[in-house]
Amino acid sequence: MNYLELLQLAAPEAIVVVAALLVLTMGLFAGRKAAGVSVAVSSQQISGAGFPATSAADAGALLAALGLAIAAAAVVRLPIHSDLFHGMLVISPLNSLFKIIVLALAFFTIILARSERAFFNKAEYFAIILLATVGLMLLVESEELLMIFIGLELTGLSLYILTGFEKARRTSAEAALKYFLFGSMASAFTLFGLSLIYGIAGTTSLAAIAARLASITIEPLLLAGIVMTLIGFAFKIAAAPFHLWAPDAYQGAPVSSAAFIASGSKVASFVVLGKILLTAFAGLHGDAGWHAMAAGWTPIIAVLSALSILIGNLAALAQKNVRRLLAYSAVAHAGYTLLGLIAGGRSGFSATLFYTTLYAVTLLGAFGVVLLVRRETGGDDLANFRGLSARAPLLAGSMAVFLLSLAGLPPLAGFFGKFYLFSAAVNAGTRHDLLWLVVLALFGSLISLYYYLIVLKATFVDRADASGVTFHADFLSRLTIAFLAAAVLFFGIVPGSLLDRILLSF
Amino acid sequence: MIPTLQLFLIISAALFCIGLLAALSRRHAIFILLGIEMMLAAAGLNFIAFWRFGPQPAPPTGVMFTIFAIAIAAAEAAVGLALVIAVYRHYRTTNIDQIDELKG
Repeated sequence: MNYLELLQLAAPEAIVVVAALLVLTMGLFAGRKAAGVSVAVSSQQISGAGFPATSAADAGALLAALGLAIAAAAVVRLPIHSDLFHGMLVISPLNSLFKIIVLALAFFTIILARSERAFFNKAEYFAIILLATVGLMLLVESEELLMIFIGLELTGLSLYILTGFEKARRTSAEAALKYFLFGSMASAFTLFGLSLIYGIAGTTSLAAIAARLASITIEPLLLAGIVMTLIGFAFKIAAAPFHLWAPDAYQGAPVSSAAFIASGSKVASFVVLGKILLTAFAGLHGDAGWHAMAAGWTPIIAVLSALSILIGNLAALAQKNVRRLLAYSAVAHAGYTLLGLIAGGRSGFSATLFYTTLYAVTLLGAFGVVLLVRRETGGDDLANFRGLSARAPLLAGSMAVFLLSLAGLPPLAGFFGKFYLFSAAVNAGTRHDLLWLVVLALFGSLISLYYYLIVLKATFVDRADASGVTFHADFLSRLTIAFLAAAVLFFGIVPGSLLDRILLSF
Repeated sequence: MIPTLQLFLIISAALFCIGLLAALSRRHAIFILLGIEMMLAAAGLNFIAFWRFGPQPAPPTGVMFTIFAIAIAAAEAAVGLALVIAVYRHYRTTNIDQIDELKG
């Protein structure tokens, strides 16, 4: 083991970090120049768009996107299997696949963030998105508690900053503070839980923990450790009752930050949560069947899942703000996604990973539409979506694809995602014990159709107050949104293209 | 009194509970932050105690975990205080009950 080998295996992360530093440096110089300009013109143009260095911001976005693309290429060139420091950096087909997915999500986030109204130093914003991406990559690839914790914190701290980035707006700061307070409390719980698990297992590598736990009986201290660790992850994936931050953060944050929180962070959290539960705690499975409840982690996850489905869907019904509505629906979707982990095994875990990836792509697209609508109309309430179909048919059509996919209508991706999840849950165990949860999830999807249709009604049926105004949206973000909509359609028609990849990489 | 693992676990559990109580009952954002820091410190104490009273010689995983936890807690405090200042600029208060524009 020498440093050269370490650098080789950690090359993708190193590339993203270097890209982040470069973007930051560039922003420093561009920011200086722009500050000089804005002092000169500020007396006339106070109401104008705040940060004038758009070309510098574009260059920053280009550099950041380039860094992500090079990092993805480096991931492809990694050896197929490798393990550094007993699980701290594991390279496997599954980890590499999800590293690429996370990089792609960050890539699209940066393209969308580019067209956000310029009210802050964009280069710094892109740099922090890249740092959050490094955290996500560490989360996805480490199978060791210390690295997982570091990944969680690097992601979390970056996302708190991204949430509060729009300094001029009250709600952005408020959302960031709330997100931070909930998040750091959750990470304190996780750290305490991890310390108990370390104390009982005597090791921090997931595989070694599994071997150690297989030989001992469940004791209260271990159970406390598991519950406290799960609290932290339930927060990350916004599962009820630890979801209280999500609506505020999704609504108050800059739209592109909310998109990244809802997509990248969620995918990585589900990957690592699945690894912890199905690898390290494999022996403490328990049973969540209706008649056969047995102590272990599945009953806990089952309760989280059921609560998320109920609370998420019912609360979403009452929302007038589209971002808040998407946040509550995210809570419900976290509930569905947990079904796969409860079902367990290869089919359950792959269904979870498949669903969370599709969900991330869909939500990224939906937030992209929200971003453009907010940019044009100055808000993201249902009223701001009125008459969108007449003004921007492409965006309205894409929004319909995203929302109907979230509702789970065939032939869109969400349908097959839900199908695999539910069938994995039904087939788990011998007596279809999880049927109660599947019925609840189906009922929840039925409710969800209603509130997604309300958004679509505003988009397609309602007349705009000021019609005839053309809708300004730059070509690149239109293209991105259309591409994401096409991806949702593609994965719905050919679900095997992604699912087989996930299955093969186990 | 001979220090035992139990003693350390009781102390760290107490520290964690005090921190949690502070975080839940205080309304001032900085006091909540202090409570959270106490919870993190309690977890650090746990790691050290488990390492010290575990089978020896053991690799210093617990110590490493604690050192990283301290560094992360410091970063967290920095971000947290920055956000408190950002909120204070807009709301002229750090009482979290009065920072309630987002709801529903």
